[in-house]
Amino acid sequence: MNRTLVYLALAGIAIILQTLLLPLVLPGDSKPDLLLVLVIYLGLHEGPWRGGLLVYLLGWGYDGMAGTFPGLNGFVMLGIFLAVRGIVSRVNTESSPLLLLLVAVGTVLQTVMAAFALDFFSQTARIWPQMALQLPFQLLLNFLAALVLLRVSVWLQRTFMPHRNLPGLRKLDSRYES
Amino acid sequence: MWEWWRKNRPLLLGGILLLGALLWYSVNLRQQDETSFMESLVLRATGPVQAAFDRVIMGVADIWGHYLYLVETAEDNLSLVEENRSLQALLTQSDEVRLENARLRLLLDFKEAQEMATLPARVVAEDASSWFRTVMIDKGSDDNVTEGLPVVVAEGVVGRVVRSSPHFSRVLLITDASSAVASLLQDNRARGVCRGQGEQLVFDFVLRQEEVKIGDRVVTSGMGGVFPKGLVIGSVESIDRREFGLFQSIEVTPAVDFTHLEEVLVLLRSPQ
Repeated sequence: MNRTLVYLALAGIAIILQTLLLPLVLPGDSKPDLLLVLVIYLGLHEGPWRGGLLVYLLGWGYDGMAGTFPGLNGFVMLGIFLAVRGIVSRVNTESSPLLLLLVAVGTVLQTVMAAFALDFFSQTARIWPQMALQLPFQLLLNFLAALVLLRVSVWLQRTFMPHRNLPGLRKLDSRYES
Repeated sequence: MWEWWRKNRPLLLGGILLLGALLWYSVNLRQQDETSFMESLVLRATGPVQAAFDRVIMGVADIWGHYLYLVETAEDNLSLVEENRSLQALLTQSDEVRLENARLRLLLDFKEAQEMATLPARVVAEDASSWFRTVMIDKGSDDNVTEGLPVVVAEGVVGRVVRSSPHFSRVLLITDASSAVASLLQDNRARGVCRGQGEQLVFDFVLRQEEVKIGDRVVTSGMGGVFPKGLVIGSVESIDRREFGLFQSIEVTPAVDFTHLEEVLVLLRSPQ
């Protein structure tokens, strides 16, 4: 329950950053998708039912703040979560570089799934050319945001919870590097 | 059979869940023009928080821009900077007041020119994703703001209200890919539809034989039932008159600078 509340609080902070702070400092309309990073982290470290339900709920909440297509982000985020869950038994989830790689792959998957759902199901004009044009910059933004988040998380953990570990962040922590 | 089910259960359950989510999204598209319970809940819950954060962030940005940046010069001449700082504070304050005054005067002139009732609103947040172009305003159904109402500024059309909760609403900007505005060229009255393309607009369905010049002004035609006739949308940026086909391809630059959207007007009544 506590963990769920922490995830919801993190999602709230991500939304505040994306809707208020980042548009002030970043040029144009592009902004990193911090919620995607959270969804991938959930995919690596939470179970399918609890994590899946939470991710779908977060997606619906995200729809209230982005675009005009209710259920779109619920579908996309759930798809990304299930894709991560599908490979989680074959990879080392304690590797932070893996999280960075998954953020990059997740960005592509997110764009493909959203373009599919919008172009095949809604009456909106073709949006995939815009999304495809935006993808490289979005990839870069998401990757950098994930890197910064990991560094900040490790710093916070070292400073405030030195005796506890955050799952998935060990490889970025120099104490574990050989 | 049981063995096969056990082996493929995660894949099948995942597929069913995903399909369910896709179907639910598809069903919800039918009620896309209305504010769903979940969306209203999100607007109600996040609106006040975002409005509060917006004020804090703007305050911090104001302090940073007007005061902290001047600290560097204090190293050169502390007393002079102290004097400069107080003068600068007064000056920037009056500048800010003057600029705000000019913006509000423009809105006021525009408001008086409109025959329909208008409601000023402040933009408190942007869209959370990079794909869509929406903004949140601090007026909602308690102020008679409902879905479908047009939103403008003195320079031209901003968009229309797509989601509304008691105190906050979301506005779909005309630059969003799902936005389409019935439009016409002010000079030769050629009709078409302006569709959003991120930062630009495309003016679709203008016949090839129509004479269009770069810089021509595009205005609302009043045909769509949302925007009143004659509101400025933008000006023609480029024209591609192909050798074949019925229509020409026209790019339009919006008249409104969407990166600096602070105050807007909601037109409360539908056009007469």
